[in-house]
Amino acid sequence: MSFADLQLAATNTILFLAFGCFLVVAARNGVSLLQLIIASWVFATRTKPGRSSAELWQRYSDLALPVTVIAPAFNEELSIVESVKALLALEYPHHEVIVVNDGSKDDTLGALICGFDMESYDRPQIAVLQKTEIRGAWRSRRYPNLFVIDKENGRKADAANAGIGFARTPLVCVIDADSIIETDGLLRAAEPYMHDDGRLVAVGGTIRIANGCEIEGGALRKIGVDKKLVPRFQIVEYLRAFLSNRVANAHTNTLMLISGAFGMFRRDVLLEIGGYRHDTVGEDLELVVRIHRHMREQKRDYAIKFVPDIVCWTEAPANLAGLKGQRSRWQQGALETLQRHRRMIFNPRYGRIGLIGIPQLILEDVIGPPAEVIGYLVVPAAIVFGILDPMMALAFLGVTVLFGTGLSFGSLVLEEIQLRRTASARDLYRIGEAALLENFGFRQMNLIYRLRGIRSFLRSETKWEAVPRVGFNQPG
Amino acid sequence: MGAIVVFLISAIVALTMLAAFGILLFRRWYQERRRHADRDKLGAITRSYMRRVAGQLDEDAPPNWSDQLRLEAVSHIHLLLRGGERNRLMQMAELDGLLRATLRQSRSWRSARRIDAIRLLQQFGSEACIARLREIFARDPNKAVRLEAAFALAAVHALPPPRETIRILGMFERRTNRLDRALFRASAPHYTEQLALLLQDRISYEQRALIIDALGWSGSADVLPLIERASREDNAELRSSALQAAAKLGLPSVEPWVIERLQDPVAFVRVQAANCCASLGLRSAIPHLHSLLDDDDLWVGLRAEHALDVLKYQWPNFEAKGLLA
Repeated sequence: MSFADLQLAATNTILFLAFGCFLVVAARNGVSLLQLIIASWVFATRTKPGRSSAELWQRYSDLALPVTVIAPAFNEELSIVESVKALLALEYPHHEVIVVNDGSKDDTLGALICGFDMESYDRPQIAVLQKTEIRGAWRSRRYPNLFVIDKENGRKADAANAGIGFARTPLVCVIDADSIIETDGLLRAAEPYMHDDGRLVAVGGTIRIANGCEIEGGALRKIGVDKKLVPRFQIVEYLRAFLSNRVANAHTNTLMLISGAFGMFRRDVLLEIGGYRHDTVGEDLELVVRIHRHMREQKRDYAIKFVPDIVCWTEAPANLAGLKGQRSRWQQGALETLQRHRRMIFNPRYGRIGLIGIPQLILEDVIGPPAEVIGYLVVPAAIVFGILDPMMALAFLGVTVLFGTGLSFGSLVLEEIQLRRTASARDLYRIGEAALLENFGFRQMNLIYRLRGIRSFLRSETKWEAVPRVGFNQPG
Repeated sequence: MGAIVVFLISAIVALTMLAAFGILLFRRWYQERRRHADRDKLGAITRSYMRRVAGQLDEDAPPNWSDQLRLEAVSHIHLLLRGGERNRLMQMAELDGLLRATLRQSRSWRSARRIDAIRLLQQFGSEACIARLREIFARDPNKAVRLEAAFALAAVHALPPPRETIRILGMFERRTNRLDRALFRASAPHYTEQLALLLQDRISYEQRALIIDALGWSGSADVLPLIERASREDNAELRSSALQAAAKLGLPSVEPWVIERLQDPVAFVRVQAANCCASLGLRSAIPHLHSLLDDDDLWVGLRAEHALDVLKYQWPNFEAKGLLA
């Protein structure tokens, strides 16, 4: 083979790869644009939440389905008492709080016992879903609706399963112990069940980033935006994910993920499917996909909803080191879920979940990251080989950046007009600035972390990297 | 398409986006600046209305207060006032023409806007508002809007008779939900006899159970025979509803048949009976509840345990304490 032949083969390969990457990028952007358009329509035509529902709940409180809030806690000694007080203070006619101490190495259990005057209690477990041993159950003498389950260390999925097993109410709300739910969050989440005729199995809400906010006594005192760039980039990502992607997917009945930080489920459905899986690092995505699968295989009419007005605030990784672990885990979890439920892919038996929802996950989590990486490598190669005009490459880059920023701005407009959880014009500016800057470095770093997740998946790693937290109310 | 053209198009799009974001920022900044001024104005408007409600002279009401600010102030004040003062405030708001915009909004082509208007009309609750709410309830083409109007009418105690509500909302033509149950309950104090008459219709057990449950909210002892009869029906849902109604009515004469239901063959009826005993504070049920602790059905046992707890902590008396010990 001559050099010219080799050059031709290389050129053709580069052209082929470049075209392939272009198609994938175009498809991802097309899906995102469509989602933004659908979400805008949903927001424009929706009825904003009013006071009438709260009045209704007050008058006929016994019609509100009782809810158990399950808060798995691991090494939360310093903040657990305040967090639980905030959970007890949630507005809801009948709610129980079950804190599952997941074998904490610090004195989380002691803090709870002292903080809430707890006594040992022989509470029967209705279903055993956890893999680890229960060491004891406690109930508060002061708050009749507060219980603590002490168990050996598993993972969040195991702790949540233990809590689900002890729950007695028709609805369970699984949260992170350090998440801050807005006081009307439970009411908003349970409201769709009031209109429901038995179809609704789960409701998800919006997750927002608490870094930069003022937190006091486990409750949000003042909304703010962190000055550091990493949390600000994540605010932009979350806005896109929750106000555009989830709203649109819920509207088209293809919602594939309810965040682990806040989700309300029908307890009987969780018991039917055996709760969260223990052998995946993306248990929240896997759970929702499994609910879809279970309901469709049984040919049952069901619905999974998303309510953007339920807002739960959570601490995001404050630096790239924390982000690395989190994003790798998300990527690995998505691939594990897709592998486990590969039967659903393009399978008409699973309706729009098999034909739209799962393929969308594949585009985003399987094909998307490698295609993006190949794109970054192929474009300079194409310039070197003289296939691509450098000016054209620059123009293409400009269009990509513009498109990404446009989608972020679109989500920001929805936030500003519909939810308005940004404190001031200055904060709005900071988020807008991050929407532009994230294209230069952050997206690429994120891509590397996702590739790391793909590697962990291929190696079948089971290690769960905890995301380092700075903690609320830390100076600087 | 050349690179220059792509650059040009990109630049135009980028500038448009930048302009849109600038407008968004300016809008927010302007609203923040106005907030202080508006707060002062709201205070002045509130004082002005309070003086007028009290019948005092109000000399310093400037004409440049916008209807929106006035409406905001009235919405806030009306929560603080009761009885005659509240009625006078609403009259003044109507005389000031504040309802005009709301009434106009209630005819908007967008259902979300009509629902917003309904919420305001409910807040005002005057004759004109109720008339408009009734019109919306009867004629609006959107089911969600009609339902919102129904709840607004229920909130101002102006819900039409049950048969009309059932017909307009098509309640008996679909599966009923918790909201239907709430509407029936809201009807019960005003239309007890009509609800009782509905029981003579050919309706399903599920619908009958809904009505029996609502009768518990009538506050009338006259419905007791109906409820007691329901508690002996073959259908378990009816028996369960009868127990819920009895718990709400809170009359002691139900004691014998409520305790009888603790032995019901259907588990969820026993659960409801245990709940009812706890709600009514039936001390005589304590031995029966103790025997339910070992019930075959886990939920019955749990509910009996809870009922015993309630009787112990919320209905404390020596006799009960002795029995529970």
